[in-house]
Amino acid sequence: MRQQWLHGFLDLCLLCLLLERRDYGVGLAQRLARSGFGDIPGGTLYPSLLRLEKQSLVRADWAASDVGPRRKYYELTAEGRAAAAERVAVWREFRDVMDRMTAATEVERP
Amino acid sequence: MTDQWHESFARLLVERGVAPGEARRLAADSRDEARAAGLPPAELFGPAAAYAAGIARAARPAPLAALPRARGPVVLRLTGVTKRYRRREVLRGVDLTLRAGEVAAVVGANGSGKSTLLDICAGASKATSGLVERTARIGYAPQQHGTAPYLTADEHFRLFGGAHGMGAKRAVATGTHLAAGLGWRPRAGTVAAQLSGGTRQKLNVVLGELHRPDLILLDEPYQGFDQDSYLDLWSQVYAWRDAGAGVLVVTHLLHDLDRVDHVLELKGAEDR
Repeated sequence: MRQQWLHGFLDLCLLCLLLERRDYGVGLAQRLARSGFGDIPGGTLYPSLLRLEKQSLVRADWAASDVGPRRKYYELTAEGRAAAAERVAVWREFRDVMDRMTAATEVERP
Repeated sequence: MTDQWHESFARLLVERGVAPGEARRLAADSRDEARAAGLPPAELFGPAAAYAAGIARAARPAPLAALPRARGPVVLRLTGVTKRYRRREVLRGVDLTLRAGEVAAVVGANGSGKSTLLDICAGASKATSGLVERTARIGYAPQQHGTAPYLTADEHFRLFGGAHGMGAKRAVATGTHLAAGLGWRPRAGTVAAQLSGGTRQKLNVVLGELHRPDLILLDEPYQGFDQDSYLDLWSQVYAWRDAGAGVLVVTHLLHDLDRVDHVLELKGAEDR
């Protein structure tokens, strides 16, 4: 179930991470893992990034690296920044509704 | 091993409707991405086939923005349509009014007469009684017949385009673009008989839309279509509707019917 939810929110997570700073694929995967989402398979991550790129929310550039192979860096476009702000607002509204919805249920922990 | 993964990834992208140039770019990107991550591609991205499906979906252009059509007029009206084969009654008193810019889903159990109704709407079969009124410009994508086994996809596009007064070049270009929207790139030299059932149905769907008819009659495939193709088909249905076509879809799966404008449920003859 967690995995399914994350699927629905991955685009928003990526927009938020990129709002903080530009990053490359593996870096984004590491930051998602550190945030508590666990390992995101590349088969899920990269199609999401490509979709955002196709929607012109994200711009991608290959940058040479001093140490290793070249890396593809992603950064938000102006459109992407606007979309991030808008989607975060929608999410907050949705989260408040869910909080109210679930407040009555005291979850019993085993 | 690694090269093999990248080669099959590029080939699978093309098969999924990504233009060859873009497929090459995406494959080169994946190669570099895997190199940067220091992982074999199968480990970073998973199996090539699954990854190609995901990337092709993400890379696909939005469904072809069809030319606007006139909105609102009735494109199909059925009044008390009944069909009998000898004593057996297949359809009884079917009524439906479908306007341009609407989708109607026809549902019902196997043998409830769904495909028969579609044939009657297309004029391929005659109602025993009742009235069928419809626009002249229709596109018809039946489940079984409709394609010629020894012609290639391009030959179909030219043939069907020509029947509606389209030039050969434009017919092939439009057909190819519509096919890409369904995640399919026709291969030169492959005739319809060599296509899988699901792909042949995609050819049928493309032929049905080629000349931008006012009414599209579609028998939804239920064999050989994978989940992605199925979703592509429905997004295409809504794209046609938004462009102002009336669409009648015979549906065999209990698809999420919230977005359709009319649901016509046929009761099997044995229920009477």
